Amino acid sequence: MKKSYFKTALIFIAIIGFFVSANAIAAPKKLVIGHPACLSGKYAKAGEQAIGGIKACVDWVNNVYAGVLVGKKRIPLKYKYYDCESKKESVTSLIGRLITVDKVNVVFSAYSSGLTLRGAPVAESHKMLYMDHGGANNKIFRQGFRYIVQTIGPATRYHEGTLNMIHKIDPTAKKVALAYEDSEFAKMVMHGAEKHAKKLGFNVVFERTYPKGVTDLTPLLSALKASNPDFILGGGHFEDGQLFNRQMADLGINSNALSLIAAATLPAFYKALTSMAEGVMGPSHWEYGVKYSAQEAKKVKLPWIGPSQDEFVALFKKALGKNIIPDYHAAEAAAQVLAYVLAVEKANSIDSDKVRAALGDLTFMSFYGGWDVDETGLQVGHSMVDVQWQDGKRVIVWPEEAQTGKPCYPMPTFAEKAKGKVAVPK
Amino acid sequence: MILEQLAGNLIQGLVLGAVYGMATMGLSLIFGVLKVVNVGHGAFIMVGAFVTLWLFNTLGINPILAVPVAFAIGMGLGFIFYYTTMQRLIKAPELATLLATFSLGILLEELIKLIFGSEFRGYNWVVGKINIGVTVFPMAKLYACIGSALIAVLLYLWFNKTRAGSAVRSVVEDSEGARVCGINVGGAYALSFSLGIGLTVASGVLLTMFIPVGINPYMGGGYTLKAFVIAVLGGLSSPYGAFFGGLVFGLIENGSYTIFALLPGVEPFALTRFLSFVILLAILLIKPTGILSRK
Repeated sequence: MKKSYFKTALIFIAIIGFFVSANAIAAPKKLVIGHPACLSGKYAKAGEQAIGGIKACVDWVNNVYAGVLVGKKRIPLKYKYYDCESKKESVTSLIGRLITVDKVNVVFSAYSSGLTLRGAPVAESHKMLYMDHGGANNKIFRQGFRYIVQTIGPATRYHEGTLNMIHKIDPTAKKVALAYEDSEFAKMVMHGAEKHAKKLGFNVVFERTYPKGVTDLTPLLSALKASNPDFILGGGHFEDGQLFNRQMADLGINSNALSLIAAATLPAFYKALTSMAEGVMGPSHWEYGVKYSAQEAKKVKLPWIGPSQDEFVALFKKALGKNIIPDYHAAEAAAQVLAYVLAVEKANSIDSDKVRAALGDLTFMSFYGGWDVDETGLQVGHSMVDVQWQDGKRVIVWPEEAQTGKPCYPMPTFAEKAKGKVAVPK
Repeated sequence: MILEQLAGNLIQGLVLGAVYGMATMGLSLIFGVLKVVNVGHGAFIMVGAFVTLWLFNTLGINPILAVPVAFAIGMGLGFIFYYTTMQRLIKAPELATLLATFSLGILLEELIKLIFGSEFRGYNWVVGKINIGVTVFPMAKLYACIGSALIAVLLYLWFNKTRAGSAVRSVVEDSEGARVCGINVGGAYALSFSLGIGLTVASGVLLTMFIPVGINPYMGGGYTLKAFVIAVLGGLSSPYGAFFGGLVFGLIENGSYTIFALLPGVEPFALTRFLSFVILLAILLIKPTGILSRK
């Protein structure tokens, strides 16, 4: 009799134990990444790259890494995205839909600081982990949001490398001109650049903004020309960067260096401007050719995860079905997938609070470079690189440890470029 | 130095204004004859930009030669849209034509996006520069300016020296009277609508000669806004008025930038936009037919 009571109790405990443990590490069949992606509209170019990067890393996690380890079970990732048309109102409604209808486990922000900031309160209201791969504005992380984590580097550090480089290679350069889009992102970048320029002893001789959607920069550039700067930092997004470079060429405004944020690093920039883009620089979060690897990670004592650079490029091409090299928009979105995977494994949970806490403690290296965030979620572990167009190719010219070529300084004049001269380092 | 900048900007503004004016003539023509406000105006400019881009990048055709091609494509589109849509709505309330032209604009944008994608494109037609001391002009900008002025003159001659032009003018004056006199009023409407669209698409070519980057399916929105200001400035129903309105607008836009830049702590571009719309409101309140209109 006693034995039978004991047996029944054991079975009862086992059943309760099974349900308790199953609930404790409730391993779903799949982990869903939700994304209001910019498939169309003004950020379509960056949006396509981000989609390709995410798909590539989801592919790697599912097929090479064998899924995300949660409670001794490997769970595959699934990527669910809708076109937000690069519009703020679409971003908010799509995040709501992804969370409430599609029941995603994490939301990746849309591209740009404006769209990222717009979606943050929605994710926050649902206590949903919100990962930012396209919003570099530091202000996003000063709003008190608890569920946001950044992968892209903060805007204030964009031009640090460019300024350091010019400071080192040309001690005679003193005058810098800043001309940029009147947007939160560009203002934050230039605020950081101005601060760093002054720290290095540069004199800001011209500083002016222009509105979004501007179609003619002639009056601004005429005034800039009059200030006679040694080098120019400018831009905001792709379209105005293209216009900036084009109209500088039209007006024959020459300077030793021109660095344009968000535009100059994209292949479409050179495709549209051809020889006029020779020697033009841009800061980038990542470029094909950077030398981050498992060996490099070992040297700096960081855990390594993800595909190698070449494996990533192959997966990216497969994901988009196009023979194009990914740019930093793709790499940062892809690295974000890896950060999420590591955090879920570290938390051994899919709960947003636990994964967010794990992300706060996470440091790692991937093909994208270092990854680490501060207590507000701001990215502090990733370094920018500076890229220059040299003979139709993107060359990493700064920092020296990441260089794939020396900088061409001063860059050729627009008259020389029109005659076919390309940017070649001395 | 400031005076030099002002002079340079005013000259640049005048050249750009000629292209702006040309880009508004189609809008004014359609409104003048059919009393239809083409809200999708910018989308037709965008079509012209893509025609240039495609001809230049794939066939290597000079943008100047793209003007007649774009005009012909615009005329074709105009006839198709007139007979399939506008003809049925000509007597309908104004809201119906507004919505129809708005829809046509979106239709074109999405169609172009489907064919070419949504990325920002550009082309690089290098034909030299001219330095006039206070500023530098790429020759392409001057060609665009000359082309615009030439088209304005041709339109004037067509209206005043040809039978078809006279017929359209008589329809504008009194459509019933014109019908009694044996003029095909429906045909005049169709011709005017197509001509208006043809001019707008051709202006897209000229605008890319001025600014050959930033070409994408949604580029037309900014130009639509400017075209409305220019159309009001020049007299809503007068295509030539629109051309001169464009010149005035270009001068205001570029000239005021230099002056506003002298004010400390302001973003001059924001004030030039502000000024443009203050002018628009002022004209609507004081002389709604436009300052360059005789009425």
